[in-house]
Amino acid sequence: MSAPLRQAEIDLDAYRANLERVRGWMRPVEVMAIMKADAYGHGLEPIALAAVDAGIRWIGVLTVPAALRLRAIGVGEDVHLFTWQHDPALDFRDAIDSAVDLGVSNLAELQRIVEAVDQRPARVHLGVDTGLHRDGSSIDDWPALVEAARDAQRAGRIEVVAAYTHLAESSDDDDAASVSLFEAAIERAEDLGVDVPMEHVAASLAGLERKEFRKDMVRMGANLYGIPGADGVSAADLGLEPVMTVTASVAKTKRVPVGTGVSYDYTYRTDDETTLALVPFGYADGVPRAAQGRVEVAINGKRYPVAGRVAMDQFLVDVGDDDVQVGDTVVLFGTGERDEMTVLEWGAALDTIGEEIVCRIGARVPRVYSGHSVEGRVGEYLRGEHA
Amino acid sequence: MSAFTGITVDREALIANYATVADQVAPSGVIPVVKANGYGHGAADAAQAFVDAGAEWLGVADIDEGIALRQAGIDEGVRILAWLHAPDEDFRRAAQHGITPAVSSVEQLSSAADAEVAAVHICVDTGLSRNGAVESEWPELFDRAASLARGGARTRIEGVMSHLSNASRTDDLDQDASLQRALDGLRARGIVPDMVHLAASAASLALPETRRDLARVGIALYGLSPFPDRTSADLGLRPAMRLTASVLRTVVVPAGDGVSYGYTWRAESDTRLAVIGLGYADGFDRGFGNHVSVRIGDRLFPVVGRVAMNAMHIAIGDADVAVGDEVVLWGDPANGDPAVEDWASAVGTINYEVVARLGRSIERRTT
Repeated sequence: MSAPLRQAEIDLDAYRANLERVRGWMRPVEVMAIMKADAYGHGLEPIALAAVDAGIRWIGVLTVPAALRLRAIGVGEDVHLFTWQHDPALDFRDAIDSAVDLGVSNLAELQRIVEAVDQRPARVHLGVDTGLHRDGSSIDDWPALVEAARDAQRAGRIEVVAAYTHLAESSDDDDAASVSLFEAAIERAEDLGVDVPMEHVAASLAGLERKEFRKDMVRMGANLYGIPGADGVSAADLGLEPVMTVTASVAKTKRVPVGTGVSYDYTYRTDDETTLALVPFGYADGVPRAAQGRVEVAINGKRYPVAGRVAMDQFLVDVGDDDVQVGDTVVLFGTGERDEMTVLEWGAALDTIGEEIVCRIGARVPRVYSGHSVEGRVGEYLRGEHA
Repeated sequence: MSAFTGITVDREALIANYATVADQVAPSGVIPVVKANGYGHGAADAAQAFVDAGAEWLGVADIDEGIALRQAGIDEGVRILAWLHAPDEDFRRAAQHGITPAVSSVEQLSSAADAEVAAVHICVDTGLSRNGAVESEWPELFDRAASLARGGARTRIEGVMSHLSNASRTDDLDQDASLQRALDGLRARGIVPDMVHLAASAASLALPETRRDLARVGIALYGLSPFPDRTSADLGLRPAMRLTASVLRTVVVPAGDGVSYGYTWRAESDTRLAVIGLGYADGFDRGFGNHVSVRIGDRLFPVVGRVAMNAMHIAIGDADVAVGDEVVLWGDPANGDPAVEDWASAVGTINYEVVARLGRSIERRTT
């Protein structure tokens, strides 16, 4: 028997099923699978290899170092790796040599890329800031960026692969206004002599809800992890499966009298003689202190609230007279199959979104991979057999 | 030039804090606590700094954390104590890596003895209701300890520990009295442990009665205050962590425009924003936006809009800020940097959670 202190099980079959489902909805539009932030805390390499095995051709990873990690484990150049947030001190040479796609936000960045080109042209996506104000060129600076890209392309230094923007998802009207700005920017680019082969605008939410925003490719992140972002829509409503299930093992049980104070500051007191179960999972591992009084965990198919303060490494639940033993599995969140909350429910209970919950699962929580996808390249990677 | 994005830990501050705390709790000794990646500071470097400052012990939550320290080069001349164990832990790894387990049950004590770990500490629950054996379990646990001692087991009962609730002075002193009952129970069975430890940062600084032989000190050694109403400077401590980011871009936003997801902030007049590449995936609460300030140069500027997965926006007005400039999220307020406590109170939590939550995606360096 193995009862690990803490664990995040990543169901690669669920990931692949979500990917297939989303690609089906989007067809014939291309899907870029977003794997920034270590694949939303799920582990970049296994998720990427599972997606590649499923035939994905586009992966978004935010930064060049993350893209190079994937090239290093054998993700070939037939899979395009899109990056769009670059440190001002980054040297682009390795990215260009490894055919990593580079989102470009401004003239200075483009110049640094052009200067780094040696043998092969850099693959560039021109970014437009249409309201999110995070990356992409401002509308005012856009013509100068386009002209510089045109000249660099004519000189054989870069290849303009696409243009893109991010939507703020504030309201339908705001997003529609952003898309109009983007479309005007594309027209302007074409007037200036740059052919834009691909356009990508929508991410998970808008990709599902606004067909007219899909363009040539949709960037899908949260949906693929079974975390749909739309208000009032559960993963199950869409046929998506939560990929991450977080568990811990009961590390200690104790019988205590009525009136016993529990955890720091005694903010919880037992209202009867009862059994307390210690869950070795704290705020350093990803259960926020704010979870006290807001989330419940499942043990043997029954829900229990967090009792008392969440500490750095542990919290307690009051299980009454129930038969809970050391080593029993505590499910924090997952698919709901064992009556646990889902990550969406955690997000709602904690006034945030599911993405923050999964990204916050800490380094002390080992990721354990399951599913048929553990065969093949993922399995080789996990066994340390990759080239 | 581009500023460093990540956590810079000031080794000299860790060493100075150790000296300050060691001086204050003397003649009690100090067990620096480096669990949870050294409260987000980087466990290996923090541990090395405390050892260089004179620490003979280090405290971690689980055995894996202890093994990681051994693998990072903390040699067995430095004792490592771990107190949170998996249900099926057989303690062989603890024996192999010279890690001293604190045991909370008869089963754990027996397993540790079977694995022939050199020494154990007995963990008793004196009121916090967390780990530690509750008083009703003491007779059986202490009997087992006594029989091990009489039987010439290779495992020595070296210490006894408990942990305080910090609920109130009275509650903490009640816990100290409960710990004394445990020690009396052991003594009656012929066991007199060399090392008794109860107090952590808060009590070791504020409740001298609870110091016993050793104080387990975490947050204070990183230079942060365990008290809501006293600052680091009040305690003579220096925050060791400085968190900085490089400006990735600046952008002009016209009046009325929203910023970041959901447009939770809108520019009142034409203004400029700076973007940095840190977000909630790195451990920054999504709720920080519109509630905290950062330092650029000599001025403070607000973080505006939602914190995104990998980015935050800062409203810089007409200040002279360029790509690559340094943004200080928090550091030592004595140097004019924002305090981590400002970030904690902005989202209704404590400094411990803000630093312990920082992910492994953030680069860490020790200077």
